[in-house]
Amino acid sequence: MSVLSISGLRVDVAGKEVLKGFDLTMSSGEVHVIMGPNGSGKSTLAHAIAGHPGYQVREGSVRIDGVELLDLSPTERARHGLFLALQHPMEVPGVRPVDLLAAAGASRVDLMARMRDEARRVELRPDVLERFVNVDLSGGERKRAEMVQLAILRPKFALLDEIDSGLDVDALGAVARRLQEATLEWDCGVLAITHFRRLLHELTPTTIHVVSAGRVVATGGPELAEILERDGYEPFRIE
Amino acid sequence: MTTFADSARSYLDATTGSPSRTQAWDAFTTLGLPTTADEVWRYAPLVDFDLDHFTLATGTASPAPSPLAVALAERAGLVVRLVDGFLCSVEGELAGVSVSTVESQWSQKYASDAFALLNCALAPASVVVSVADGVNVTAPIVILNTITTAAAFPQIRLALGRSAQASIVEYLDGGVDALVVPVSDYDLAENSSLQLSTYQRLDTSAWHIARSTGHVGRDARLRQAVISIGGHYNRSRNDAEFLAPGAENELRTTFLGSGDQVHDFRTRQFHRVGRTRSTLLSKGAVADHSRSVYTGLIEIEKGAKRTDARQTNHNLLLSPHAHADSVPNLDIRENDVMCAHASSVGPLDELQRWYLESRGVSRPDAERLMIQGFFNEMLATLPAELASVVERDLGEVLQLVEIVTP
Repeated sequence: MSVLSISGLRVDVAGKEVLKGFDLTMSSGEVHVIMGPNGSGKSTLAHAIAGHPGYQVREGSVRIDGVELLDLSPTERARHGLFLALQHPMEVPGVRPVDLLAAAGASRVDLMARMRDEARRVELRPDVLERFVNVDLSGGERKRAEMVQLAILRPKFALLDEIDSGLDVDALGAVARRLQEATLEWDCGVLAITHFRRLLHELTPTTIHVVSAGRVVATGGPELAEILERDGYEPFRIE
Repeated sequence: MTTFADSARSYLDATTGSPSRTQAWDAFTTLGLPTTADEVWRYAPLVDFDLDHFTLATGTASPAPSPLAVALAERAGLVVRLVDGFLCSVEGELAGVSVSTVESQWSQKYASDAFALLNCALAPASVVVSVADGVNVTAPIVILNTITTAAAFPQIRLALGRSAQASIVEYLDGGVDALVVPVSDYDLAENSSLQLSTYQRLDTSAWHIARSTGHVGRDARLRQAVISIGGHYNRSRNDAEFLAPGAENELRTTFLGSGDQVHDFRTRQFHRVGRTRSTLLSKGAVADHSRSVYTGLIEIEKGAKRTDARQTNHNLLLSPHAHADSVPNLDIRENDVMCAHASSVGPLDELQRWYLESRGVSRPDAERLMIQGFFNEMLATLPAELASVVERDLGEVLQLVEIVTP
């Protein structure tokens, strides 16, 4: 079993502090959902953990099984079991998914066949795998394609930034089901960021965290989602 | 010591003083070689250039083909082998396709182009590949042009008959300390379609000064890619003339510069008549101390209404010592047209690189993937079976290039 622990994380974006001491601990096989209003720092968390160049970590720690990720390059973080699925996965013209995955360390043996199997599982047309990474793909296709990458790379922990934005019900269902299965297949820990509750119809969370003003302000079971549904984020707001 | 002029004159005598060749040679001697004071030659390292350093090719050499040439030939329906521009053999047979040679001709359009004049005077012959009317050639035609240590003046003409279709790949290699001056013409009759890719893999000591002109007829379509790796100085001028409505030209030019190479790309899209379309994408990468210049002219004649002309130029800087210039020019004499151009010069996209790294790809691998990707986009005109061969070769070349992130 693996453990992801985030503690006291402070992150600046363009000189402004956005995360103000963020704490969260989870184990492999669990599904944690981070919910919060726009501007609460959810996306900053995902990008900072994955080492996006626009985010400056001021303080704190992010560890997988005791290994400090913040001391590592984005490549090494991924190789230690971290995977970030972006809200808007980037287009990389001229690069094919199969070459990306092989360079990321996936075995070349039957790689295309395994990718096609995974594409089928998330109802992605296999010919999309022949195109350059995310180029000319719809929003739904991009997220399904991210799931193919995830399934080939089999990370210990998958961070998903606003995976439900821009997705229709079918795509959302396909993505959520694949994540749920990943928790069983290789004990993948799923940390999903969203500000819509509809994701939770498809993905069963172990734990929900409510974020406000750059910190976790409440943690609880699935029942927390119902409270949010009824009362909104206002009762949790701190400034 | 025998000068280049001496060997040229004895060659001209041996060709029984062909009036066209003599005319071209006389025009060349009157014009003389260009200098960097001439605007269109200002980026060329002409101070190092000495014609007497080169010996005119004789057509007697028979170098062994490179592994890449062999791989391309294996996947072709018809292979045309040239050495220093001399036609050596034609292997295979395709219905409706013929290969012949005709005497080199000089054209008024080269009157101010010293190197093209040299080609007209000294080319062994004009090698003509013709596709008959209505013939759709499904297997690729490969033209292998190996250059020895010599001054070589290949002249090639590709002629597609009415409604003919073909895919042709031209490959140049060899050329240690050589001067290579190809002149090519592509004649596309009404409703014909030519997919043409030129892969230039000459030695980095070669002077390569190439010029091509597409003559695109009514509803005809020329899809052309020029991929350049080799050359000490690599100059590639690719023009297209639109002769009748419905004519289309899609041109992709690309290069990878390393060492102290200079890549000099020039294009001229000449829309003589309306309802014609040109799409031009020029992309290149410069590493080490190499430099590049892209100069593109879109010319639209008065009355050429509803012309659609687009020009895009992107340059990647892979070293702080490399340099790229982009010079778009528009000469538009008609109002009712659609015309656009865009250009950029910069390093690799930092966020794309991060995205790859966030998947576990190392930085050097991410950069190579992106640069290879930059070129892969340009291989779209190659038949798939040949594209994989060229892609692999480009990958090997890229392994040798040092990438310095600013």
